[in-house]
Amino acid sequence: MASTMLWASRAASYLRISVFHRGFSTVLKDLKYADSHEWVKVSGNAATIGITDHAQDHLGDVVYVELPEVGAAVKQGDSFGAVESVKATSDVNSPVSGKVIEVNEELSNSPALVNSSPYENGWIIKVEMNDSGDLKNLMDSEEYSKFCEEEDSKH
Amino acid sequence: MMTLAPNLCFRTIPTKCITVKQQKDPPHQLNSVIPTKPKPCECFDLHKELIPYGKAWSWQKQIVKQKQALIQEHEDCPDSLIILQHNPVYTMGTGSSEKFLNFDMKEAPFDVYRTERGGEVTFHGPGQLVMYPIINLRNHKMDLHWYLRKLEELVIRVLQSSFSIKASRIEGLTGVWFGNQKLAAIGVRVSKWITYHGLALNVTTDLTPFSWIVPCGLQDRQVGSIRGLLQEFQSSTRCSEAVKPISDDDELIDISYKSLIKEFSEVFNLEIHQKTFDFVEDH
Repeated sequence: MASTMLWASRAASYLRISVFHRGFSTVLKDLKYADSHEWVKVSGNAATIGITDHAQDHLGDVVYVELPEVGAAVKQGDSFGAVESVKATSDVNSPVSGKVIEVNEELSNSPALVNSSPYENGWIIKVEMNDSGDLKNLMDSEEYSKFCEEEDSKH
Repeated sequence: MMTLAPNLCFRTIPTKCITVKQQKDPPHQLNSVIPTKPKPCECFDLHKELIPYGKAWSWQKQIVKQKQALIQEHEDCPDSLIILQHNPVYTMGTGSSEKFLNFDMKEAPFDVYRTERGGEVTFHGPGQLVMYPIINLRNHKMDLHWYLRKLEELVIRVLQSSFSIKASRIEGLTGVWFGNQKLAAIGVRVSKWITYHGLALNVTTDLTPFSWIVPCGLQDRQVGSIRGLLQEFQSSTRCSEAVKPISDDDELIDISYKSLIKEFSEVFNLEIHQKTFDFVEDH
């Protein structure tokens, strides 16, 4: 029993965080990723969505987050909101299609949560998915890390 | 090109020339050393026209949609640039606060547009050259900070080369400054790496409408214009015979326009192709 639990906790901590050799951004193993740098955490039919550590790092200090209305429809690949930093506002795109069931109101008062905690307290919306097949179009953590490296090395 | 004669004749206000911290670059970056052939950029020159803000805004969004469709189909997506003047108007950015308006929205002196660009409230009006680069950052550098610094750079170069005005950046305050006066405001939107909105340079703008807002939300700063600075320089100089008289407004606009286009093409390594756009044809 004890050894199983020890193994489980070791596996859990390994699976949870993986910092790649570049050392700049954190990529979490149990999430899915879009090539526009959003992450999605699936739990049953519900998807929690935010922007990745790589994205928030490139953006700089987020001063404003534009949130959609609860009940709004979102489509995979389409913009549902925006984040503003240093006079530049950029779209945030939904990695999945569905209906917005919750938005992170905290971000109205503390937009910087996107920077300090991109995968936890900085989540942006929760969506009730209407097609779990959407997930197939997304990258896993390893593919996403590689994608970030390739994108950064192009410049 | 008009340049002020003896720089030694006017008192220069010391400027803080702080360069903004650069984003950390990856170690291997060969393509910045090898000069690449300039890519084409279509330019819609409306610099002598006063275009209603709403029309220009719709037009930009139309162009952005077209480019996104091209990218979706893996087609080439050339850059575009619109340069124009606006009728008097106030515009606000995504997170803009109404507390920076010194008037009631119901009694606004001019139309107020809430837009999707970054930044706080600003004023656009005759005498101010507005540039809307609608460019695909995939053709350049997929880095918002780089893009903003480049917009600042192009204006700084214009001011230096055409007017001998040593303008600079202020770290943390995007825009182009001369001392405490902001000469150019910048606010952009990026959608799937296509930029729109852009910058506004005060050439001969009547600055009074700025006093009815807190420009860009900055309480203790001022707004300036090229003509204002040139007049200041001229009046403070003792050797006025050596200084050329300030050109008329139209000439200042023209000089600024030509310089903006030139520096834009150099800073972004683009080859400008002039194109016409007929607003009558628009929807």
